[in-house]
Amino acid sequence: MKSFFNAIANLFKKPVTTQYPFQPTYKPDDYRGLIGFNEDLCIWCRRCEAVCPPGAIVFSQDMEGKQTYHYNRAVCIYCGECVRSCPKEGAIFQTAEPAPCALKAENINNGWNKLFPEAIQSREAFAAEKKRKAAEAAKAKAETETKQQ
Amino acid sequence: MGKTYEIPVGAQHISLLEPLHFKFTTENERIIKADANVYYVHRGIEQACCSKFKFRQVSFVVGRVCGLCSISHTTAYSQVAEKLLKIEIPKRAKYLRMLVIELDRIHSHLLCLSHVAENSGFEALFMKTMQYREFSMELLEGICGNRIQYDYSIVGGVSRDLKPEVADWTLKRLKEFMPQLDELLDIYQNNWTLSLKNKGAGAIDKETALRLNVVGPFARAAGLAVDVRNETEDLLPWKEAGFEMVLEKTGDVYARNLVRLRELYVSIKIIQNVINGLPEGALVTETKAFPDGEAVVRLEAPRGELFYYAKGNKTQVLERLKIKAPTFSNVAGMVEAFNNNEYGSAPAIIASYDPCLSCTAR
Ligand code: SF4
Ligand code: SF4
Repeated sequence: MKSFFNAIANLFKKPVTTQYPFQPTYKPDDYRGLIGFNEDLCIWCRRCEAVCPPGAIVFSQDMEGKQTYHYNRAVCIYCGECVRSCPKEGAIFQTAEPAPCALKAENINNGWNKLFPEAIQSREAFAAEKKRKAAEAAKAKAETETKQQ
Repeated sequence: MGKTYEIPVGAQHISLLEPLHFKFTTENERIIKADANVYYVHRGIEQACCSKFKFRQVSFVVGRVCGLCSISHTTAYSQVAEKLLKIEIPKRAKYLRMLVIELDRIHSHLLCLSHVAENSGFEALFMKTMQYREFSMELLEGICGNRIQYDYSIVGGVSRDLKPEVADWTLKRLKEFMPQLDELLDIYQNNWTLSLKNKGAGAIDKETALRLNVVGPFARAAGLAVDVRNETEDLLPWKEAGFEMVLEKTGDVYARNLVRLRELYVSIKIIQNVINGLPEGALVTETKAFPDGEAVVRLEAPRGELFYYAKGNKTQVLERLKIKAPTFSNVAGMVEAFNNNEYGSAPAIIASYDPCLSCTAR
């Protein structure tokens, strides 16, 4: 009998669910959201790339040695390891912004799968080029030294 | 001897929450034999942890073994890695780990209870339990920054601090939850319709439970006093935080419901003690060492004893990682407890085991 009256009373109560997306749901101020990056502060140590568990950060490098930061929000698990590992405060930081859905036009999966090895390759190419230049310089130096003798 | 029928349930079934397959042999609606097949979702996580990921990254990988007891897996792995690194973590980190594990237990137990109610045909109680469970999800989100994948334990400590305002808010919400928990306990204990489905169903006695090595609330409902929190003190100071053993005698679905509900009171007490007596100090112990040697760790997850074994060889990548989830230990007991029950009670019995097959198959 008690449950019968409870059932009737429940008909007049407000629903306990939240009318998402028309009403916002609960979100703490320090929600683990998108990762932000500040190019001016970064010292390009690539520590964040090394610690990231799923590999959501990668740095590519052009032939002048300038590095570019790439980040994939669909791969990121928002763990904050990159922020904890960064030696320069503020270079990489976590915002409270939830990640927006990826659109088809972004080509977020295939594009990233292509970009990731390319970025690694670009770094290897730069390192090889640097090594070659260093070897050349050393050779030239050795030649001038022998000439002087 | 009447005619026997074989009824397969699963691997995908409307009343099953998990990818597991049961084969019941029934005689006149009565189950005389049950078989279980559990390995449907093998994901190769152990192999990935020993090849693709560095040992510090593994704590985030094992967090994805299970959605419900993510924190138990991360904490157990972090502890085993700390043993390999031979470091002691700060006391504050230990307390914060206990806090999140107990909050996780609250939401996991309430989820299980709601599914028992649903599978017993009591849909309204399912909704009520889920409504009352929501507070624990919000607290976890406030503390860890995410509703499900907490990523809270890291090798060496915890990743975030507990802010004072969040701590106050947690205590406030727990106080609000207390009368709701009393109400739930009253319903699960005294509701006549629910007792028809739950009392005497899926019973297992103490000797059988011991023989089949049953763990967690499943064992405690049968009167078997197994709880890792009662046995180990070195890694997390459970007794200091107010742990008490909860036991029932009958070992049926009803007893399992009661064990889970009464454990929530213990969890709430632990959380309150942790927040009120939180020691000051650092969150992480830093080290540059590499894992070396072998170690095992046991931890009480919501479903029972979770076991981790790891072997390191002084490199970034572990040599071996072995995870034994509580449900794995329970499979033998699960099959046994079906015997001599009505086929109609099978859904409620399955839900009352609280099976987590993704953990088991990893
Ligand atoms: S938050 Fe975690 S997953 Fe995301 S970029 Fe940083 S380290 Fe990688
Ligand atoms: S760890 Fe910090 S400083 Fe180093 S590359 Fe990443 S963002 Fe830059």
